[in-house]
Amino acid sequence: MKFFIDNLPIIFPYDRIYPEQYAYMCDLKRTLDATGHCVLEMPSGTGKTVSLLSLIVSYQQFFPTKRKLIYCSRTVPEIEKALAELKRLMEYRTKSAETEEQKTKETNFMGLGLTSRKNLCINPQVAKEKKGKVVDARCRDLTNSSVCQKGRENPGSVELCDWHENLGKLEPGHLIPGGIWTLADVLQYGRDKGICPYFAVRRMMPFIDVIIYSFHYLLDPKVAEQVSKEMSKDAIVVFDEAHNIGSLLPDNVCIESLSIDLTRPMLEAAGRSVTKLSDKIEEVKTTDVAKLQDEYARLVEGLQESISDENDTDAVMGNPGMNIDSSTMKAEHFVAFLKRFVEYIKTRMRVLHVVAETPLSFLQHLKDITYIERRPLRFCAERLQSLIRTLELNRLDEFASLQKVASFATLVATYEKGFLLILEPFETDNATVPNPVFHFTCLDPSLAIKPVFERFSSVVITSGTISPLDMYPKMLQFTPVVQETYPMTLTRNAFLPLVITRGSDQVAISSRFEVRNDPAVVRNFGSILIEYSKIVPDGIVAFFPSYLYMESIVAAWNDMGILNEVWKHKLIFVETPDANETSIALENYRRACDNGRGAVLLSVARGKVSEGIDFDHNYGRAVIMFGVPYQYTESRILKARLEYLRDAYRIRESEFLGFDAMRNAAQCVGRVLRGKTDWGLMIFADKRFARADKRAKLPRWINQYITETASNLSTDMAITLSKLFMRTISQNPNENQTGVSLWTLEDIEKAQAKQKELALDAEKDHDDDYGDGGLSDAALMDFDLDV
Amino acid sequence: MPTTVCTAKASCKKLPGLLELTDTHLQWTQDGKKAPSIRVAYAEASSLFCSKEGAAQVKLKLSLVGDDTGHNFTFTSPPAVAIAEREKFKQELTTIISRNRSASDPFSRPVIPPINASIPLSTAQTPTTQTPRPLPTPSRQPPSRAVSVASDRRATPVIVGNDPASEFRLRKKVLLANPELGQLHRDLVVSGHITEAEFWDGREHLILAQAAAEGQKKGKSGQLVDPRPEAVEGGEIKIRITPQLVHDIFDEYPIVQKAYSENVTSKLTEEQFWKRYFQSKLFNAHRASIRSSAAQHVVKDDPIFDKYLERDDDELEPRRPREEHVEVFVDLAATLEDHEETGNEKDVTMRAGRQKAALPLIRKFNEHSERLLNSALGEIPPAKRRRLDPGEDIYSQIDIDDLHDPEATNGIILEMQDRQRYFEARMSEANQDGSLQKLDPAFVLAKARASVDQWDVKLTQLKIERKQGDAALLAMTQNVANRLDVRSKKNDIPDGLFRQMTSCQTAANEFLRQFWLATYPPAGELQTVAVATPQQRAAKQAKMIGYISKTPERVNALVQVAKQYGIDANRVEIALKPVVQASEHALTFWRNRKPPKPQQ
Repeated sequence: MKFFIDNLPIIFPYDRIYPEQYAYMCDLKRTLDATGHCVLEMPSGTGKTVSLLSLIVSYQQFFPTKRKLIYCSRTVPEIEKALAELKRLMEYRTKSAETEEQKTKETNFMGLGLTSRKNLCINPQVAKEKKGKVVDARCRDLTNSSVCQKGRENPGSVELCDWHENLGKLEPGHLIPGGIWTLADVLQYGRDKGICPYFAVRRMMPFIDVIIYSFHYLLDPKVAEQVSKEMSKDAIVVFDEAHNIGSLLPDNVCIESLSIDLTRPMLEAAGRSVTKLSDKIEEVKTTDVAKLQDEYARLVEGLQESISDENDTDAVMGNPGMNIDSSTMKAEHFVAFLKRFVEYIKTRMRVLHVVAETPLSFLQHLKDITYIERRPLRFCAERLQSLIRTLELNRLDEFASLQKVASFATLVATYEKGFLLILEPFETDNATVPNPVFHFTCLDPSLAIKPVFERFSSVVITSGTISPLDMYPKMLQFTPVVQETYPMTLTRNAFLPLVITRGSDQVAISSRFEVRNDPAVVRNFGSILIEYSKIVPDGIVAFFPSYLYMESIVAAWNDMGILNEVWKHKLIFVETPDANETSIALENYRRACDNGRGAVLLSVARGKVSEGIDFDHNYGRAVIMFGVPYQYTESRILKARLEYLRDAYRIRESEFLGFDAMRNAAQCVGRVLRGKTDWGLMIFADKRFARADKRAKLPRWINQYITETASNLSTDMAITLSKLFMRTISQNPNENQTGVSLWTLEDIEKAQAKQKELALDAEKDHDDDYGDGGLSDAALMDFDLDV
Repeated sequence: MPTTVCTAKASCKKLPGLLELTDTHLQWTQDGKKAPSIRVAYAEASSLFCSKEGAAQVKLKLSLVGDDTGHNFTFTSPPAVAIAEREKFKQELTTIISRNRSASDPFSRPVIPPINASIPLSTAQTPTTQTPRPLPTPSRQPPSRAVSVASDRRATPVIVGNDPASEFRLRKKVLLANPELGQLHRDLVVSGHITEAEFWDGREHLILAQAAAEGQKKGKSGQLVDPRPEAVEGGEIKIRITPQLVHDIFDEYPIVQKAYSENVTSKLTEEQFWKRYFQSKLFNAHRASIRSSAAQHVVKDDPIFDKYLERDDDELEPRRPREEHVEVFVDLAATLEDHEETGNEKDVTMRAGRQKAALPLIRKFNEHSERLLNSALGEIPPAKRRRLDPGEDIYSQIDIDDLHDPEATNGIILEMQDRQRYFEARMSEANQDGSLQKLDPAFVLAKARASVDQWDVKLTQLKIERKQGDAALLAMTQNVANRLDVRSKKNDIPDGLFRQMTSCQTAANEFLRQFWLATYPPAGELQTVAVATPQQRAAKQAKMIGYISKTPERVNALVQVAKQYGIDANRVEIALKPVVQASEHALTFWRNRKPPKPQQ
């Protein structure tokens, strides 16, 4: 359908629209008009992505400025889904275009998705490699400029990638025809035409209207430097499913992209790489000394250049530019420098007690012992890159550890505040064999995202679960224009949230550390699963607070014979450490749901499955949250981050942890809905969910449907309520949703007219306010309406 | 001396004796006594029950007319002989009982065949080739098995391709599953009011549903193959090996099948094979549970089985990595490879696979589930499966279906013959209607205006007749009072009476149902059901009307009982009034009907 918000024509690819979608689009437009940022929480399954794309594309196509859209999501399935959504939207727009001219405009609109070489490579020699890092390295060996030059000058002398070569023969800017290409489409097109999909997408980026990729490509300075540098400042940036950027765990890209871990095996490998480097330098010295001299000359030039425009290069994503310290300009000096640094860290790792220090004190100590200055350290990663290029090294994956040490050096010398170095000699408190890890950890999520806010005029942060809204601007240090959460309008309760606090035997259940392995609790958790597997059709998804707990409880359930009971009713699939294995299990789970056999999927909140996989319709008729998904508070890194949060932003630790846990629980249960005719049970099984202060931290759209009776149930009571719910929900809905939770075009126009009236009234109120304290006209009208 | 048809050693009431079937009586003589202590005339036998096939004792129970307890006989010969003897008795008695039944009720069709006796019983009209036995009622013709089956089929609803025995089983299942229906069946059929066939007439769908439910192919049970040893005294353990278990083990662990085919009879006997398997490390690995580590000490090294032992599948990556590509919407590996991993490692609780012992178990679950799924759906490579399944296109997975306008679909064109004529006819009709209702709007308006002219004056002139007003008000008050009355009175009808009332009501309803069914046979007769002939229906009608005519009497009796209990008889009467009315309606209908065709 087509409607107007103010004077902007919106094409929405459905016949109806949810009121919350309409409200969402209005707020989004307000943000774009004001060229500001916003935080929007929209209930899961109410078509957030389609509303977002529909509005922004309408905006792009209507205004001549043609602002680009950078759409970031977390996982590849989500990226692919967003691309499919966009593709369908564009097909709809083309179909409903009124003039030929408009039609051409719609068909030329271009959108692409970007992911790694590993996911986009079609060269069978390279693609067969299992590790992404190896694929990257082998790809670079076949495609870097010096190899290409050599290969073209002297065909057959070096191995080149045919797909990449074919791409070079095409006219730049026309590598792929206009339109929307999902990742699968691009792969297929590459295969058909014999061109490299990865570089096709990379090289088309300046010419396209929408790019969809993961958070990393914009937030990780190392990656952003390469792929997102050329994005213009007026681009619209969207972070979808952005709830994690307020997290303090490694799932938060903002802090993840600025943190690094070093282990002993890594340092060993780095040491070996240093030796290899010096050997290579010796070799080059004898064969082609000019090469090294050239590099030295270039670096000296670069130094002069960089001094002149130091501020400019520095500003880009907080990434150090090409200004390398004079002390490491000579290749052999740099290698000696690296060697010293690696040795220093190795020595530090021999300590058998925990050490926590700031970057400044680390640098001081480093200087005292090894005379290494901060400046050369800061440009360590750049210098290494340059050296590797000069030496024309192959198989870069073998130098990965050394590169990691170099980026560690760069980070530690770049940032003073908001970081901490923690050395943990033992993996756990009771371990006796040392396995030291040197954490360089970012405490402040605002640091990585700050350049994005500074550079782009409109940043949209949105998710289904982003409560509390005001915490995000506080933590990420920005001022939003709009900050909104939308309730869910339903004509009938499509989902039933239930809080189970005790088993049928009245023993309280909880995943609290002290009781979680109590056999009574384990059995009661188990009987919840058994009972629900008996009554719920098709799919049930169960989430546990951690892998450790899931793995131990699965074993315990098996020994108690609980799983044997479940096997009678449903198949059982479990998330495993291996991603591919889990994907196959997931696919089989879906087949079992489609087939009617029904299945149970056991997985972990914040785990691989909980991000980006939807369990709508028959794939998830019930989702059970076993326990509250609190973070592991014994973690030293988490403790440090919580402390920083308290000191810097006055956010209390317990408050933050509570919000984080509830947000994650909501994130898990929210996966079961898509659309308002879909239905599902949401079971929160832990007595701590019964507390009102805990529940208040859930997003409004879930919390509004938890009744007082449903907030403190025993298993048998919950089963009774669930049965009742399923019986009612399976009936054909008699009420017409249209007008209430589903709007037609007329409903939108009605709402707009009403809004306009209200606005007019408000204006009028200003004018003819008699000041006599009597009832205003508006109040009287409201009164009338109520009758 | 009467001729003896068959004899057998049998005990009754735990006393040994001899059971004999003569041509007139069934008799039992206690050992050591001369005269038989039990003597049952043929005519007295009403039904027969036998113990299950394979039960420890071979028993036979005979119920008598008017005495359901009857007599119990246990055959005391060695089992094989006893069963043969019992079969002989059963066969003979069944024939006798069936004759009795048909004699006792001229209209009734054969009823419940005795449990376990799969021989259908029936009256038969055709002569028989069997030697007729002396009969208590010599006028009747002897039964014939062959024909009886056929005639039985015609009368009772039978599912095509089913023998009466399984049909009987189905009926029993339906009755057991549905207690209320079972009660009705007991009230009406067992007590002999209506026949089995009549009872099921019009309820065929229940049997069909049951048959369909049973006919549905059951998939494999989901449970894991986990032979749990039973502990036997003396510290030994015992595992019972059934062919099914062997099959399951082979299915679940192909390695065992391999071991079996390579070793059995060449190196090991079957028995040795299983004995050693259950003691081997291989078996314990297959049990793949935490508790297997506890059992480690009872496990012996075994040179044969240890060859087949594989490394535990407890690494982070599975032992046998699978190359197949999954659908992109569930591809977790793609996310993992989407960007270089950075950041601090996850805390200990969030690192998957740290509980090494649980990993083989988890993998086993996934494999087991997949195997079950493939056994039901067939093993097709995923890529092909995706091609075959048209529902899996990417748009369907992101579509929100309730946002589509349901009326916007194109719909399906109705293929209609002579469409033009149909619409023309409709049009001409509509035209006629239009001509009838053509009114002059101005005229209508004027008329309406005139009717409301001076409404205020008219309103003041409005007078309500006092008497009628009062009456209306009184009636309303009365109504309210009555309703209040009903609500305030508690239900004080005694349980026994209440149950009688209910059963009276349901029985009457059933009779009425049968009656009307016979009067107006359902139009859309099920294909599988044989249609009753008009004569049969008339007979049935007559019989039913006989029962129905008794309904008022029964109600009266209940009213009397109610009086005895000291309950307001009116209430019982009112409660049963609809039934009485319905019965009267049926009776009137019966009286006014055309004279029935002469019956045979």
